[in-house]
Amino acid sequence: MNRFKLIDASRIVLLVFAVAAVALPLVWVALASFKTPADLNQPGIVWFTPTMSNWTEVLSSDIFVSVGRSVLVATVTVAIAVVVGSMGAYSIARFSTGGSLSRFGILAAQVLPPAVLVFPFLSVAYMLRLNGTLVPIIFSHLSFVVPVVTWFLIGFFAAVPKEIEEQARVDGFGRFDTFRLVVLPQVLPGIGAAAIFGFTLSWNDMFYGLILSPSNSTILPVAIAGFNTFRGVELGPMAVAILIAIIPVVIASFFVQKRLVQGISGGAVKG
Amino acid sequence: MARVTFDNVVKKYGDTTVVKGLDLELPDGAFTVLVGPSGCGKTTTLRMIAGLEPVTSGSIRIGDKDVTKLEPKDRDIAMVFQNYALYPHLTVRENLAFPLRAIRVNRAEALKRADAVAETMGLTTLLERKPKDLSGGQQQRVAIGRAIIREPSVFLFDEPLSNLDAKLRVEMRTELLQLQRRLGITSLFVTHDQEEAMTLSDFIVVMRDGEIAQQGKPKDVYDKPNSTFVAAFVGSPKMNLMDGSFTAGKFAADSGLTLAVTSVSAGKKILGVRPDDVILEVGGKSASRGRIGVIELLGPRAIVQVEAAGHSLTAVVEASRMEGIVEGAEVGISIRSGSQHLFDVETGLRI
Repeated sequence: MNRFKLIDASRIVLLVFAVAAVALPLVWVALASFKTPADLNQPGIVWFTPTMSNWTEVLSSDIFVSVGRSVLVATVTVAIAVVVGSMGAYSIARFSTGGSLSRFGILAAQVLPPAVLVFPFLSVAYMLRLNGTLVPIIFSHLSFVVPVVTWFLIGFFAAVPKEIEEQARVDGFGRFDTFRLVVLPQVLPGIGAAAIFGFTLSWNDMFYGLILSPSNSTILPVAIAGFNTFRGVELGPMAVAILIAIIPVVIASFFVQKRLVQGISGGAVKG
Repeated sequence: MARVTFDNVVKKYGDTTVVKGLDLELPDGAFTVLVGPSGCGKTTTLRMIAGLEPVTSGSIRIGDKDVTKLEPKDRDIAMVFQNYALYPHLTVRENLAFPLRAIRVNRAEALKRADAVAETMGLTTLLERKPKDLSGGQQQRVAIGRAIIREPSVFLFDEPLSNLDAKLRVEMRTELLQLQRRLGITSLFVTHDQEEAMTLSDFIVVMRDGEIAQQGKPKDVYDKPNSTFVAAFVGSPKMNLMDGSFTAGKFAADSGLTLAVTSVSAGKKILGVRPDDVILEVGGKSASRGRIGVIELLGPRAIVQVEAAGHSLTAVVEASRMEGIVEGAEVGISIRSGSQHLFDVETGLRI
């Protein structure tokens, strides 16, 4: 009995640490967004007079143009990734396309540091005269969002019973109609989760955005980095921008957390 | 409405041959049952008609059309799977109407026909439900309803009753038979249950190891099984089979049991006797004696095991003749004259 209590207690302690590790920086950022530069220079300060000046400064700047670009990039990326990824995942799940290697091999590109890929992207973008647009950023994001979305969906497609596909084919439908009318509806929750997952991946990327987009088409993470100026880091306004970037992701994660586990374990375990 | 013809159909998976040169004709408008132990190739045969398994060699025709290489959608067939395979995201009404979507029937018309089918299948009150909210029997009805809505030329049933409980299974059996009679659509029903096969079929095909063991009217197959395999497989409880040798008017089983039989040519043979043809008489005159073992009472009759000279015989005794038939009692054994089946010892084929 006592032993169980001890385990429970240690569990709680562990959870408290975990929550603190995640939540404290967020709380700090949230508080920082209401601090004056003077208050920010005294990290130990507990009581301070909140100011809205950081918020008014950032909200009146062109940060929302960057938000718009990020939304556009992530949306287009996810739209393409879901279409390509669902067909790829179905193919791998149902027909073992590419053999047993493709299931995990598909993620192999994730091992490469982005620096390996970014310069090819840059030079291709120059050759196609697409530099300065969002197109190369979308393509660079596809390079990691498509594999992840595909891998994520394999387990969902594998869980669709084969009989209902056969039934649809006997009922008079061709392969593609069977996929579209019978298989896809079964995996819609998975596709929704994959879309949100893919969206946050694209939304959070800074490296490709930094290299591939020049200053006149910055996406949000690059804009945030922009508060690190030659006069020093403008912590207050940066905190506001960070919050603007984080909040949609937190909300999205809240909705997909259950499916996220299903997708990750399903893709890994289902044989 | 069409007959289905198999012409030397072979199916191989890698090096294993599952169906070995099948020649078979399903009569037009009849209810054919394909029966056999698991792994005999019966489901593969069904799936080849459906187009879900490619044929290795040979050809399959539905009516006059060679369908060997056609996609399932172009074969004009309907199928009921063992697990019903209802579309989980659609309501009962939408499930019923779904096959009509493939042939571009407009939505209003399709839903109207779905409602009509629902009425014949007794599903009217369930139209708005999703499959997960239905019982096994109701799901089964939806699956059958979905199969009949398009009025295809062939119905295929892959053990559709085996997931139902015993009582429902018998009910659905009758219903299925009435439905098929009414629609007159050529049907193929696959099962491993010989009783189901006997009761449902106009025409029965017994399969073994990828080959047809025997085909014909159920009564003919029952009355004249052409091998010991069919003899043991068809009929319940199963036929008594004994190795032994015949001399004038007498059969001496290798185990030691002797029985008086109708005169046959002498020699070593296998004697087969249906349990209903084994006659037990308490204190009877018969020279063959045995002791009653286990009795399974079924109601109108009982299945009785008789231990006789190291041999366990199965007999079926009418309830009205059960007097004196109790466990441990000694009885005289004889077989109804003319009821014996003879098989060759080497080949197991009927003599």
